[in-house]
Amino acid sequence: MSLTKSIRYNFMKDIGAPAVMGFAKAGKKKRRRKPNPNFGPPLKCANRLKEIMTRHYFLSRYAEGARPVAWVTSGAPVELLRPFDFYTIYPENHGALCGAQRLGPELCSVAEEHGYNQDLCSYARIDIGHFLSGKTPVGKLPRPDILFASNNICQTVAYWYKVLAHQLKIPFLLFDTPYNFEEITENDITYMVSQLEEMIPILEEVSGKRFNNQRFEQIMLLARDSSFTWGEVLATMKTEPAPMTIFDAFIHLAPIVSLRGLPVALDYYQTLLDELRERIDRGIGAIKNERKRLMWDNIAIWYKVRDFSNLFAEHGMNFVTATYTNAWAETISNMDTDKPLESMARTYSLVVLNNNLNHRLGLMERLIKEYKVDGLVIHSAKSCKPYSVGQYDLKRLLMDRLGVPSVVIDADITDFRAYSEEQTRTRLEAFFEGMED
Amino acid sequence: MNSPYFAGVDVGSLSTEAMILDTTDEPVSYSIIQTGANSIDAASESFEKALAKSGVSQDQVKSIVATGYGRISIPFADKRVTEISCHALGAYHLFPDTGTVIDIGGQDSKVIRVGDGGKVLDFTMNDKCAAGTGRFLEVMADKLQVSLNEMGPLSLKAGGEVSISSICTVFAESEVVSLVAQNHPKNEVIRGLHRAVVNRVWSMIKSIGVHGAVTMSGGVAKNSGVVGLIEERLGKPIHVHPEPQIIGALGAALLAKKNFLRASP
Amino acid sequence: MTRREYLSKQKEMGRNLIGVFPAYYPKEILWAFNAVPAEIWDPPLEIAGANAHLQPYICSVAKLGLELILQGKGDILDGLLFPHTCDSIQNLASIVYDYLGLNKPCYFFYHPKAPYRNSSRTYYLEQLRSFVSRLEKDMGPLDGGELKHRVEQGHHLAAILREIYDLRSQGDFSASNAEFYRVIRQGEYLHPDDFIPLLEGFLGRSKGGDGKGSAVILSGILANPPEILGLLDDLGVRVANDDLLNCGRRLLMEPGRMEDPFEALTANYFAMPPCTTKDSPLDERVNDLLKKIEKSSTKGVIFYMVKFCEPELFDVPQMVAAVKTAGVATLIIDVDLNQGLSGQLTTRVEAFVEMIS
Repeated sequence: MSLTKSIRYNFMKDIGAPAVMGFAKAGKKKRRRKPNPNFGPPLKCANRLKEIMTRHYFLSRYAEGARPVAWVTSGAPVELLRPFDFYTIYPENHGALCGAQRLGPELCSVAEEHGYNQDLCSYARIDIGHFLSGKTPVGKLPRPDILFASNNICQTVAYWYKVLAHQLKIPFLLFDTPYNFEEITENDITYMVSQLEEMIPILEEVSGKRFNNQRFEQIMLLARDSSFTWGEVLATMKTEPAPMTIFDAFIHLAPIVSLRGLPVALDYYQTLLDELRERIDRGIGAIKNERKRLMWDNIAIWYKVRDFSNLFAEHGMNFVTATYTNAWAETISNMDTDKPLESMARTYSLVVLNNNLNHRLGLMERLIKEYKVDGLVIHSAKSCKPYSVGQYDLKRLLMDRLGVPSVVIDADITDFRAYSEEQTRTRLEAFFEGMED
Repeated sequence: MNSPYFAGVDVGSLSTEAMILDTTDEPVSYSIIQTGANSIDAASESFEKALAKSGVSQDQVKSIVATGYGRISIPFADKRVTEISCHALGAYHLFPDTGTVIDIGGQDSKVIRVGDGGKVLDFTMNDKCAAGTGRFLEVMADKLQVSLNEMGPLSLKAGGEVSISSICTVFAESEVVSLVAQNHPKNEVIRGLHRAVVNRVWSMIKSIGVHGAVTMSGGVAKNSGVVGLIEERLGKPIHVHPEPQIIGALGAALLAKKNFLRASP
Repeated sequence: MTRREYLSKQKEMGRNLIGVFPAYYPKEILWAFNAVPAEIWDPPLEIAGANAHLQPYICSVAKLGLELILQGKGDILDGLLFPHTCDSIQNLASIVYDYLGLNKPCYFFYHPKAPYRNSSRTYYLEQLRSFVSRLEKDMGPLDGGELKHRVEQGHHLAAILREIYDLRSQGDFSASNAEFYRVIRQGEYLHPDDFIPLLEGFLGRSKGGDGKGSAVILSGILANPPEILGLLDDLGVRVANDDLLNCGRRLLMEPGRMEDPFEALTANYFAMPPCTTKDSPLDERVNDLLKKIEKSSTKGVIFYMVKFCEPELFDVPQMVAAVKTAGVATLIIDVDLNQGLSGQLTTRVEAFVEMIS
């Protein structure tokens, strides 16, 4: 690592970033959006969140050369990287950000022009498009020194990171988590633990730092507490009316995904949790007239989050739970510093997408009951096969078992060329009509 | 003895063209007709029409090459060659600096990299989906109740452009209907549709790369709106023959001559 | 004899039939249990019921496999095996096992993904042992001697296949493309006791050839529609080698010579050509393909994609780039299975052949 870059990075971190960001904020005219009468008062925390994420991307520009940089998948055991002081970038989070700003098709096209088929995952196409063109709404992403993925969320991330590894000629670490078809066996656990052990010398070499077990355990605890607090944040939505909506949660998810294991994530969720509890005490709901409570399945449709949020609120419907947001809270109780690597293996291999569909059905049934869900919106996401394959059966089974009505929206997470406004409107209107018994 | 003549017949999904050449490679005559339901009939009819125009008799035509999707079924052809090779050769013949051919036809679009002598060096074709072909524009013209020929001029008059986000023809159809219902000017919608076609073809262009001068062939090359957008994106003008549809038949006729000379040196 | 008739005969002989989804699994273990693996790649069915379970953006390999089960064409099978090949097959396995309520065992085989390290080998070996224990529950104890015999038989089979492929790539094998793949693909359901003599006959009959004409290599998943092979025959083009998932990519290159059959099978697995479904690094795939090109002086590579096949589609751009850099032409074909030869597909292939001739 270069000393000059290191000094520059530290300067930006402590003085530069707050100054520049403060300046940018002051310069920006406060555009007051007309308050939507269907919503309760907005979350005060939202500004703090924006600040955290802006700072994260802003500082990343200076990380290259100053700190080892890793590009990491959302389900990878990032706790193992943190003791080596990696600056971690989450291309999936970056993809969601591009998606929300309606930049999906533009970046995807760059990848398509280089031969990446339009049917491939659009997070991957955005990332490859960004890589090939340098285009991004966050200024600049630092070049990685290592790629770190786990196939606990999909096999796609491995195919995608392999492309990057080939282009950049840098090491690619895959945490291979056997799929839980019937059970995760002792064999599987031993295999996963050995992989984590084998990664340590590679990480030491790339970062130039020795592994510090004590730090690692602290980070594990921090990650566990953050996930636990995130779980409590989500659980506040069990209250009627729910103090936040799942659309808020899609946005407030960013720190638990990409800053997990850092103190800032835990701090943030504690603040958010306090605010939500206060709202509960005062009976403040996210939407004013919560008549129906819904569950969301699959990743968000990033370019439609705001529109959907308005549309459902208009109908007095609030999304109170989602399998997606729940994924970063579900398995964390397995973390145990007495058996650090083994507990990491369990935490990461038992996540919803690495688990069989019976587990998924059970989880959805439990969420429907706990959150008193009246209806289900299923996003069939062209990009995400592990999340989407099985949804038709889940829809049928949940109707049979619990009588919960549902609607399928054919769309994509970021590429709105695969989305039809007209078709979706018709389906949603039919769903709304069905909910008004 | 009469000097020999050569013919190329290009049977496409929408139109069929025939071209008659003399030994100096000069076009003697050509014809363009609708293919209709029977491609064999269309081939014979267009060939006869071209003969009639030229005053050349059928036995003076020494070699015939058929091309286009209906090439297999042409009984009177001596040889069958794909339209990829024919478009490359035809475009090269008309514009010898051609390095890249963009052909947007009725149901296919293709990008061809052309080397010395009009040889195909690489090519790509659209997948099964109709987006990015003449068919896409035809469906939309129908929805907008304008004729296909009007689309180019109309789009050039547009003050702005309405963005069409769907890539699927079926989705785009309903998107267009609702855009018109929202009172967006037709010419702006058309410009948006042209943009959608160009976006689709653009990734094909990029996958082959732009080499040398670019020549456009196929029916959509008559659409000045699409041509303009491609030029804008390329940042340079492209060659368009006044009858871009005949390039395939021209290439076929040139191959017919080559074929004849090879057989009887 | 049709595939169905053959499998019925095998069943009458007292063998268990196991329907196997793509792609990698230790077939020797099934043979040792006196079971016949019948692979499910592209059954000739019209997709109907599968669309009620799988979205439009799921590939036709997964859909046809499910369709086979839904239409009861798999009723003759005693069990199903799902290797962990991709996200679609992974979830399909769970749909079948968890939701369809089939009255037969479903096995799942997870193989470690690259980049390989020591743990990968240890794990694969343990996976073989657990697979055996799982099968023993349904089929009784495994005879250790029988397993050894079947591992050796597998090596013998691989040796014949390698010889056939070598002759083919040198132009010394006279069978047409259509005939070649028709015979090779019978290995997807024939018991080795029958497949070995079939291949030996094929080898004896087809040795020699003129080696003339243009040669191409097929990469991708599987050569379907098979009519494409006939088209290449008609155009005088020889398929000199392949990197197809269902054929060349499963060809055992260097058999493990260990005493212990589990260790031998483990060595075999890691000696197979690189594959995207194993997460093999792109360098390995590129080099493997370039080696094949060099060995058979090929002028073109046809990438034979099944539409929506994510693992393969991610590798293609870099493979295409490398092949083009080597001065060899490429053609990408993206199809749904069993749709025959469309005019457009024919045109693409013919134009490609015109280009390389």
